[in-house]
Amino acid sequence: MARLHIVIPALVHAFIKSKTEYPGAMVLGWLSQFAAYGSMYTTISLILARFGTLGGWVWPEIALLLSFHLLAYSLGASLSFVQFREMEEKVRMGTMDAILVKPISPWTYIVFSGLNIGYAGHIILAIGLMVWALSQVEVTWTIQSALMFLCYLVSAAMIVAAIMTMIGATALVWVKSNHLFSIFFGFWELARYPLNIFPLPLQILMLTFAPLAFMAYVPVAATLGKPVPLLGDWAGLASLLAGPLAVLLGTLHWRHCIRNYQGAGG
Amino acid sequence: MKLAAYPAFTATAFQSRLAYRNQVWSGVFGELVFMFARIAIWTSVFSTVASSSVDGVTLPQMITYALLAGPVLYWDYSRLLRDIGTAVKSGDIAVYLLKPLLYPAYMLASHIGNFLFDLLTVTVPVAIIIAFTVGLVPPASLFHGFAFLAFWFLSFAMLFLLTAILGLAAFWLMTADSLDWFFNSIMTLLAGGIVPLWFFPGWLAAIAGNLPFAWVSYYPAAIYIGQLDPAQVLTAFVVGLLWFAVLLGFLLWIWARARHRLIVQGG
Repeated sequence: MARLHIVIPALVHAFIKSKTEYPGAMVLGWLSQFAAYGSMYTTISLILARFGTLGGWVWPEIALLLSFHLLAYSLGASLSFVQFREMEEKVRMGTMDAILVKPISPWTYIVFSGLNIGYAGHIILAIGLMVWALSQVEVTWTIQSALMFLCYLVSAAMIVAAIMTMIGATALVWVKSNHLFSIFFGFWELARYPLNIFPLPLQILMLTFAPLAFMAYVPVAATLGKPVPLLGDWAGLASLLAGPLAVLLGTLHWRHCIRNYQGAGG
Repeated sequence: MKLAAYPAFTATAFQSRLAYRNQVWSGVFGELVFMFARIAIWTSVFSTVASSSVDGVTLPQMITYALLAGPVLYWDYSRLLRDIGTAVKSGDIAVYLLKPLLYPAYMLASHIGNFLFDLLTVTVPVAIIIAFTVGLVPPASLFHGFAFLAFWFLSFAMLFLLTAILGLAAFWLMTADSLDWFFNSIMTLLAGGIVPLWFFPGWLAAIAGNLPFAWVSYYPAAIYIGQLDPAQVLTAFVVGLLWFAVLLGFLLWIWARARHRLIVQGG
């Protein structure tokens, strides 16, 4: 098996080099995505400016929720989204077979040979908005709470990467799985608003089978000390455990699909 | 090419979408999620005010506005942008230039087919589900109902023209990938598809209300629920027609320039 500490930086370096061959398109991509999210957040802020609160959350709290949502998504998706969106094509064209015979774990190869630096615009906007929001919300920070916040973020990014891996892995068995990304992004859209504004069945769904409430709402509510439906005082602990649990399920699903992979021809 | 031949492109585009039936249910799911998120937001914020209406609009009217301004009027322009971008990037655009047709008119005919397909398979089912589960309101009056239909045509034409102009920029940029995001950022804020202009600060509403993006979502949906009186409707229609003429002229001009600028990679 190849030495990962040499192979991974080499894979990332090769991919970044291929992207920076077109610097104009790359920077334009960052700026356009920055503008698109900025515009959406401005629109949400207009609702807050007119009505004051959304589900009991004021604008700086919503801004923290939005920035956490975007940062967690960017970190997780840079490791997974584009890479696993292309799994259908890899299976259909047979290029997955070539990946399977490489002397490196297929997951590691797929993830790091496509590590997406296109999320730089997302990350810059998310960090900027988060810094502003954190300066506005009433939270008493300690070293422990700051560390917890960082752990929540890592856990949330793990959820994103794990779910994307599971969707991509499904293509190994079903051949087609990109329609599942549409469902993911449906819940992703809902995950950037306070969970308590949705009906109870949807709240339960987003805390269990489609656990994207843990991507932003639950950890941010736990940080702000806001009541979390169904979880109550367990919100912080659940936020910490959700990511590793999702990764465990993702690993099991990935291995199951790899074992049952037969190519597009069946 | 004779004008009568273009409807064949509309029919072909419609039929070709039938081959991708799994896109229908994922499209319905996506639009339903979009709508239920909007319904949850408006229900939540309307519950914070003491009266049953805000700026003269009730919650059922606001939900109807969200459906019209979103899924009904704001059709999937990305497909058009992507088609033009791909044709330029792959060089297929050269094939269209050899044919006896006007490429923008071909795109219009083709995307009317896509629009009708999405309308019948996605938008109408979503509207029916929303109507039965949450409830929708009828037009404010017969006049507003007919005016909405006229504005719907104008809305489709405006979004087509704006997207086609943007897509043709690919002749200069050699990529349309980022343009989708840029256009989305403008439309999200200025078309009034998510937040209607009457909730904007006055200065921003004044600017957005005079830009062509507002004719895509805001004016048709606002007219349907009766936010504009008949005189305002007629004024908005005249101004909309002026914008339509300006954008049409600009599209034809930019197409004439683009044809002479065509560079196909490797040739």
